[in-house]
Amino acid sequence: MSTDPSSPVLRIEGLVKRYGPHLVIDGVDLDVAAGQVVVFVGPSGTGKSTLLRCVNGLEDIQGGRILFEGQPVLSRSSAIHAVRRRIGMIFQGFNLYPHLTALQNVTLAPVKVLGEPAKDVEERARGLFRKVRLEHRAHAFPSQLSGGEQQRVAIARALAMNPHLLMFDEPTSALDPETVGDVLAVMEDLAREGRTMLVVTHEIGFARHVGDRMIFMDGGKIVEDRPPEEMIASPENPRTRQFLGSILHH
Amino acid sequence: MYEFNLAGLLPYTGPLPRAIVLTLWLSTLSILLSVAVGVLGALCRTSTSLILRWIGGAYVEVLRNIPLLVVIYLIFFGLAQVGLRVDGFNSALIALTLNAGAYMTEIFRGGLTAIPRGQYEAARSQGMTGYQLYRYVVFPQVFRIIYAPLGNLMIGIVIGSSLASVIGVEEVTTWMRRAGDETFRYMESFLAVGVIYVVLAQTINIGRIVTGRWLLSRAPIGHRR
Repeated sequence: MSTDPSSPVLRIEGLVKRYGPHLVIDGVDLDVAAGQVVVFVGPSGTGKSTLLRCVNGLEDIQGGRILFEGQPVLSRSSAIHAVRRRIGMIFQGFNLYPHLTALQNVTLAPVKVLGEPAKDVEERARGLFRKVRLEHRAHAFPSQLSGGEQQRVAIARALAMNPHLLMFDEPTSALDPETVGDVLAVMEDLAREGRTMLVVTHEIGFARHVGDRMIFMDGGKIVEDRPPEEMIASPENPRTRQFLGSILHH
Repeated sequence: MYEFNLAGLLPYTGPLPRAIVLTLWLSTLSILLSVAVGVLGALCRTSTSLILRWIGGAYVEVLRNIPLLVVIYLIFFGLAQVGLRVDGFNSALIALTLNAGAYMTEIFRGGLTAIPRGQYEAARSQGMTGYQLYRYVVFPQVFRIIYAPLGNLMIGIVIGSSLASVIGVEEVTTWMRRAGDETFRYMESFLAVGVIYVVLAQTINIGRIVTGRWLLSRAPIGHRR
């Protein structure tokens, strides 16, 4: 594991991802430094989510390479498990384990995957439930929780592994409008703690207030990579301008 | 004129307890083995490997399209003809397991395909190995789905075990025929055995319910609910 503070947490070089003949990611280069919050925006189907899924090896890649804390991410190697333990992922559809309570969802992997004592993990989990403002819901099953509550449990579940990188794949896209704010507030807290985060979202307000970098992707490529404030105020690329125009004006 | 007389069977009840134990033993072993076959078969049928999927599919289609009686004959008489002698009990056990295993495969496969892809992705994203993923995330959910259809199949196995009588296994149906032949109280022996099968099948079924409740009530990880 790399401990050199100057080296990036995540380095992506010439990444290519294909589904059969269909090119989804077309040569992406990206360095993410510790503590950065990188927000990905762009039309759907441009490879933003796929990019995140390549970073923790949920997808295999056809070209280039990905280094997480200096280690290559190889989706089919046995070393992938160790990489995934250090990367927390939050999904659009929450993907909580429905047969377990909220608390058990959070404690399962630390106990079974990391082999930590259940008592310690449970204590830590209680702290996480406070952090996501759900201490009263720890014993509920996912089916008894609202979408926003489920997504906050999913965030707690990811945090319980003490990850070095958090990836959010459209975390609020499946939520009712009134619960989006609760989830974004938790994400904002995490960013303020200095966590390294990759966020795919259409929430431009979140990108503006919380993001350090905003990356506009189109056609499997990074089109623009700038501080959010700047990009929103004066997009350089016509495609960026068109996209931001379309989502800001309704 | 015919006169119903259940007591006429009484002198022949001596071997009955052993026959009942044998039916239960044959059924229970077949259930346990066919569950193992079913899990393996379902993993094959849902595998990413085309060859494994084909093997799983071929097994299911062949075995569930051959009558159990024919499978029993194949193993007991057919194999003997090519020099491989399998005794009656083991022939029946293998035939029942192969037959029920095909249905188990389909039940488990149905359960596996009902688990959304997101469950696998969430578990993988947490660094779970294949074993951990199935052990803690997938199978506990599959178990809840297949719990009821499993009951039907288990009862089918108990009832199907009666076919072991055609190759001389001393189980309940064999006892029925012998008692009937020797007393000419056929009606009584058929009815008595009918009742015995109801009780045996329900015993197995209650065993399933009790085991299932126990499994479901256990905290899946080292702390209380």
